[in-house]
Amino acid sequence: MPTIPLHPPNSHSTTNPTANLNPLPPLLHTPTGLALLELQGTIHFPTPADPSTSPFTRIGTLVFPLYNPEINGAEDTKWMKRVYLYVGENQRLAGEVKKLGKGFAVVRRRERVGDGEEMEGVEREDADGDMVDRGQGTQEELEIVELVKYKIVFSTRPEPVSKDGAVV
Amino acid sequence: MATQQDEGDVPFSVAHDMQQFRLLELPPEIVELIESANPPALSIKSRVPSTTPNASNASAAHAVLCTANKTFQLRQVQTSNSLFVTQPVLESHNNEIPTPTTRAIASCAVTLELHPSDENPRIYLEEALPLYDIVDGEVEAAGNGKNKASIFADVPVSDGQAERCWSELVAFEFSGSSYRPSANTLSQIWKSINAAAVAEGIKLDSQFLADDMTKVADEEGYPVALVQALLKRRLSTDNQDINGPWACLDRPRTVQFVGQMLLEARRESDDYLTAGFLDTWKDGLPEAWRGDAVLKVIDGKYELPSSTTIRAKARSGTSSKEDNTASKGSSSRKWHAKFGRARKK
Repeated sequence: MPTIPLHPPNSHSTTNPTANLNPLPPLLHTPTGLALLELQGTIHFPTPADPSTSPFTRIGTLVFPLYNPEINGAEDTKWMKRVYLYVGENQRLAGEVKKLGKGFAVVRRRERVGDGEEMEGVEREDADGDMVDRGQGTQEELEIVELVKYKIVFSTRPEPVSKDGAVV
Repeated sequence: MATQQDEGDVPFSVAHDMQQFRLLELPPEIVELIESANPPALSIKSRVPSTTPNASNASAAHAVLCTANKTFQLRQVQTSNSLFVTQPVLESHNNEIPTPTTRAIASCAVTLELHPSDENPRIYLEEALPLYDIVDGEVEAAGNGKNKASIFADVPVSDGQAERCWSELVAFEFSGSSYRPSANTLSQIWKSINAAAVAEGIKLDSQFLADDMTKVADEEGYPVALVQALLKRRLSTDNQDINGPWACLDRPRTVQFVGQMLLEARRESDDYLTAGFLDTWKDGLPEAWRGDAVLKVIDGKYELPSSTTIRAKARSGTSSKEDNTASKGSSSRKWHAKFGRARKK
């Protein structure tokens, strides 16, 4: 099938239950809680011993040093100019929050199941990251999960810092 | 909320089990569509690989995103940076109290850009639709067994654009297949319609019952769907209800169409006299319209190979094969003239 439907974001879809726990500044919030974070290079971390017991690796901490809506008001956007990502104990990346010139749609594949009511999430065995030129397969459909208009960008290399956060 | 972090500090983690997302950079007009109260369905189309014999990887290159009536080319953009999609989760680290955390759940090495495309669907439709030709009263047509919907699904443009081109080609569905009529066939049908209109005293540029005309054409063996496509879409005035019983032809459009089809039907011949063409054109129109048949009406559609002859202008770019060979034959003889023209520009 050469024509693949691309469904718009489902407004009444099950929003992520943890979305209201979103720790990021509200500007970066989206209905599903999805956000974009870009950094130069790659994050390396030791291979987890047992993936089933530790589904994630804590990389570091995001800090928005200028974000202070109580003092600057909710409308303040100057805080966007500075974001730090502390990695481990003595590396720091400096970045900023950028408004995207063009919004990004976060798209994923969705498989039609049974009566079409129940939509499955992302299937691992289908996850070849190749959505356009896969010719065969089951009724393939895509959906826009979220529309993201900001991203956190770290475009410089990490700088060394001491444990208390001061630049060495 | 009590956390062990400084206020505003956000723990950041990376999931081991990454999900698969694609990031699609959207132009403002599509963002607007998606954010509207009733977002329309979009689709991603690609050409069927089998129709492009010598371009095996063309399907990826030809993937497009379609709205109802616009087409956008999809282009992959690689980035050397790591671009993560993150999600808020409650996460407990080293047996701490669970804290709200931003977790990267997908990494996207490639993003997709959308570029507006105004590619003409004509070559795709011409390729997909077999020619419906009538030679000496015998129908020559090999059905493709495809209806309009399945053909549109294979054409890498929006349905709206495909529909416009479908009407332009006077394409029609007939006994399980879809066809495009030859210029010759269209000329013949037009002749029948015009003759019938004269006989019945029907003014074609005012409201008339379409059935009166399709009946005549049906008796002469033309597919009704084809006659309808001609009268109610291709030649119709814009405000006509396509599904109603009435038809009304757009006079300038019809005059132009008749002239163009006459020329197209004689595309192969090299010696069509301009004077003879103008006479046939005028004769093929209702009496009151004769004066409308002047070359200005088909401006850009013809060329004058000599001071006395005329022919249909060779279509630019990739057109059907017979056109290519025809124009190649004539242009190779005049390559110096062609170069001279190019230099003047």
